Amino acid sequence: MNAIKVRGLQKSYRVYQKNEGLWASLTGLFNREYRDVDAVKGIDLDVDQGEFVAFLGPNGAGKTTTLKLLSGVITPTDGEAHVLGHVPWKRENEYRRRFALVMGQKNQLWWDLPAQESFRLHQKIYRIDPAEFIRTRDELVDLLDVRHALGRPVRELSLGERMKMELTAALLHSPEVLFLDEPTIGLDVIAQHNIQKFLKHYQEERKITILLTSHYMKDVAALCQRVVIIAQGEIVHDGSLDDIVDRFSGHKVLSLQFADERMPSDLARYGEVLEVVAPKAKIRVERSSIAEVLSSVLSSYSIEDISVEDPPLEEVIADMFKLTAKQQAEEKASQVPIP
Amino acid sequence: MNHPSYLGVFLTFARNSLIRDMTFRANFLIEAVSSVSWMIMNLGFYTLVYRFTPSIADWDKYEFFVFISTTMFVNSLVQAFFMPNAQELSELVRTGGLDYALLKPIDTQFLVSLQRVNWASLGNFFVALLLLGYAVPKIEGFELSVWHFVLYPVYVLLGVFILYSVMITLAATSIWLGRNQSLYDFWFYITNFSRYPMEIYEGTWGTPLRQLFTFVIPILVVINVPARLLARQLGSEQVFLAGFAVLATILSLLGSRWVFRKALLSYRSASS
Repeated sequence: MNAIKVRGLQKSYRVYQKNEGLWASLTGLFNREYRDVDAVKGIDLDVDQGEFVAFLGPNGAGKTTTLKLLSGVITPTDGEAHVLGHVPWKRENEYRRRFALVMGQKNQLWWDLPAQESFRLHQKIYRIDPAEFIRTRDELVDLLDVRHALGRPVRELSLGERMKMELTAALLHSPEVLFLDEPTIGLDVIAQHNIQKFLKHYQEERKITILLTSHYMKDVAALCQRVVIIAQGEIVHDGSLDDIVDRFSGHKVLSLQFADERMPSDLARYGEVLEVVAPKAKIRVERSSIAEVLSSVLSSYSIEDISVEDPPLEEVIADMFKLTAKQQAEEKASQVPIP
Repeated sequence: MNHPSYLGVFLTFARNSLIRDMTFRANFLIEAVSSVSWMIMNLGFYTLVYRFTPSIADWDKYEFFVFISTTMFVNSLVQAFFMPNAQELSELVRTGGLDYALLKPIDTQFLVSLQRVNWASLGNFFVALLLLGYAVPKIEGFELSVWHFVLYPVYVLLGVFILYSVMITLAATSIWLGRNQSLYDFWFYITNFSRYPMEIYEGTWGTPLRQLFTFVIPILVVINVPARLLARQLGSEQVFLAGFAVLATILSLLGSRWVFRKALLSYRSASS
């Protein structure tokens, strides 16, 4: 069953075009130029119940806007969306009780109060049964290992602890759909890892539907089977992570360890040399010529260890963003009628 | 069972606000003491004025004290329950914090209007009670009836609702304007204007002004109606004003609700 169904969703903003300088600001008081910014340009998306989907894209691609549309925070310019059968921007209580949105950049807990007081407020607002509330809260704070911090004012918590409290608050009412907007932003590796582990466990146990945006590929690789890539308001890829690597990475990384200290000086003929620290070297090799290169390397040198890997995900994604941006620009250029 | 218990939620807001206020004890005390002393200074000023004149626009000293108490009741209630929230709304809009309010399965206007309670502002409420207890028995020819006990609190509340409506309407415009921090100034102008008996607005300029702020933006009704009900004999003019105040309150509340909902539809949120 579809938990999320989106058809032709569009959102454009009218923004005031402000020119630089004081004079421009003053004339802008009387005569304003506006420009339409298309944040989301008609996307289609189907997400099944129980899926864990990553939403990737460069800054300003429209990821957050899409999440905000799906949570009913903003209304679209055009198009349709149904989440759990509800139209989000109607802001019905029946819908709002069934999902949650967590934003890594914003906090909803009362800043000067201990998190447990905000939790109690959520209990009242979401009408959670008291016994159920205690049980869920205890389970969540134990899983996230923040029980000790329940009584400390939120402003005194570390960023990691605060994020865990935010997650707890969002999950108290056991939402069926969860939108996560960069939940690990700014966190150290350990805290990131803890949150990943928690999300994985929680999602597997409850089979809830999660849409996650993140700039950390580790989050994505650890959590999501499906990746949707959005660039300049359009979906440019929808599939598994492996698909992306296959589709967008034309390279592999070849790591070599030579048997003796004598390093060959002509490695560059195989591809771009990424790193040489004797007796090891890393070379970027065209995917199509990898077999050829391997046999040539093995026959020319005495090799102690060898591995062929996909390039780091960050790099693939970055390449892909560049590529799609270029394609989109070309498409635009070809649409301009030649005078 | 589509709605949460609004009373339960409100009590939790009040409770959480109190916990927070108690965390910053000194701040709480300073706020309470300074607003109470400001009102006492005001009182001193009017005592001084009444040494030189027996009445202002037909209000003698003790009647006017009733008027001042009414001002204090209304202002302290508005400042305790609505002012901090209306002010916060502009900030929520600018920073995108309103996002979270819109996610909650509860009426958004209720949530943003009442989530903070500024307990310190209630200090003046108790001063007003004392002042009222002192002034009312000294009014000439005054006879206390059950009606006073019923009508006066009701009309004080109606006044609070009118001010709330004006305030939340103004705050809601920040959703369209991106930012509207004129609230405090606005509050200052309004309270300055409405804290005098409406009879003083008389003459070429005064009469149209009085009509404007009675019938179009009904802020003169806020304090004048409850104060007159208590300090004056019930006459036809009073009855007319009292009836009008009920109508004005209902229209203000409906109007503000309409503006608020309309504004929410245009909410744009802010960068991630």
